[in-house]
Order: sequence, then C-alpha cells, then structure tokens
Amino acid sequence: MERNSDATRRDAAIALSTLADDRSRLAARIRVPWVLLAALGGLAALGVVSPAIANPGDDYQPPLVVGMAVLIGVIIVGYLIQRGTGIRFRTMGVAANAALCGVVATCLLLFMLSLALVSLELRWTLVLTGAAAFVVTTGLARVAYRSAAKRLRRG
Amino acid sequence: MAEVRFDETIHAPVRLRICGLLRQVDRMDFALLRDTLEVSDATLSKHLKIIITAGFASSAKEASAERKDARRLTWISLTPAGRRAFDAHLRALQQIAAPDGVPQVAARAPQLRFEHLHP
Repeated sequence: MERNSDATRRDAAIALSTLADDRSRLAARIRVPWVLLAALGGLAALGVVSPAIANPGDDYQPPLVVGMAVLIGVIIVGYLIQRGTGIRFRTMGVAANAALCGVVATCLLLFMLSLALVSLELRWTLVLTGAAAFVVTTGLARVAYRSAAKRLRRG
Repeated sequence: MAEVRFDETIHAPVRLRICGLLRQVDRMDFALLRDTLEVSDATLSKHLKIIITAGFASSAKEASAERKDARRLTWISLTPAGRRAFDAHLRALQQIAAPDGVPQVAARAPQLRFEHLHP
C-alpha cells in the first residue's frame, strides 16, 4: 500500500513537472516578428509627428484623421501579432503592462514636444521626435512580449 | 476554500498537458498547441474532441482570405468550466505530490499513472 502511495506521489510530481516543461517550451516558441514590432514603432512615430500637418495656435485643430489611422493601425498590427505568434494572452503581466504604459506616456510626451517644436517653426526637428517614438515603442513592445513569455514560463 | 477535485477527463496525460497550456492563455492556435506538445494532428484532434465534448474547451475556425481549406487558423480556448476543472485537478495533483500529501486525494485517484507523459 505504501509503495502504491509513493508511486502515485511520484507520478503526480512527474505530471506537474511535465506541465512546467510544456510552459517553458511554449514560452521559447513565442517569437514576435520584428517587422510587426517595427510596424508598431512606425505607427507611434506617425502619431508623434502628426503635429507637422497641424497649425498650432488659436485655430489649432488636432490631427484626428492621423489619430484614427494610428488607432486602427495598432489594432490591425495587434491582430497580426496574435496570428503570427498563435497566442492571445489573457493578461501579459505587470512588467508588460508597465512597458506598454511607458510607450503611451513617452509617445504623449513626444507628441506634446512635437507640438511645441511646430509652434516654434522647427518642423524639421520632428524627425527626431518621430525617431525617438519609433525606437522607444519598438523596444518597449519587444520588452512587453518577452516579459509576457517569461511570465508564461513561470505559470 | 478552493476546490480540489480529481477529474477523469483531464487526468489523461495528453489532455492534462493540453489544458495546462490553454490555462495560461486566452486562446491558442491548434498548430502551436500541436507543435508545443509534439503530438500528431490526429492525436491532438482526438483529445480535443473529448475535452470539447466535456464542455471544458471550445474551438473557433478563423476565416482567412488566403486560406479557404482546412489550413485555416483554428483557435482553441478553455471554457470557464474547463478552467475551474483544471485548477481543481491541479490542486489535487499538488496535494498528492506534496511530501505530506493528503492521503484521501490519492485514495480517490488509485489509477494515477503517467507513463505516457514523456513520449
């Protein structure tokens, strides 16, 4: 009886260990194509440089069309990432959410900076804010997915 | 108190592994599930059918402009009942595996064997 109990305990432990191995294997398979991460960066850059077509001042009109295009683009790229990885996460974890919040905060700051630069007639400098938005968004989106994969490995 | 229940449907090694992976995500592509588990299409389909019939998982084929045949993406996800059943089963396994495991749980699962977990 004791021997049966030990075997049962050992088999349960093996089953739990196999579940952990499967999670590790799945996490190792998650590869978000660089082109899609870069597409997210490109969309962020587009949003940040959108003040270039605006006219700051009393008759300022926010570039809503560009904003809508960016929003739709993000939804499409998000969907393509799901298809590319074969996974839709229920939650991506605190670190991934922090990275995504970082993307939003940085892009908002860069957008305001772009507005200020346009008001100073320095439209050419939007190349720099756009490039910064591209780099930060691409990098942090990668960090977010890596963090989600790490979280998945832990279970 | 969290439910602890040994589930005969989930108990089978491949089905336990399927539920273990699906539990971590909202939904997963059939092909990714198959490749991660390193099983054949037929094996995965057979076990998925049992899990879906039990009401523990659901599948949805996705329309695709470039794929109109069986190669369309098939998304698999655990249902709320499946998540509850898997969690309860996992707790039962953890109790059995613990050094001071609950003997009653082990007694309710006398045929707990997992020789096929490592093909």
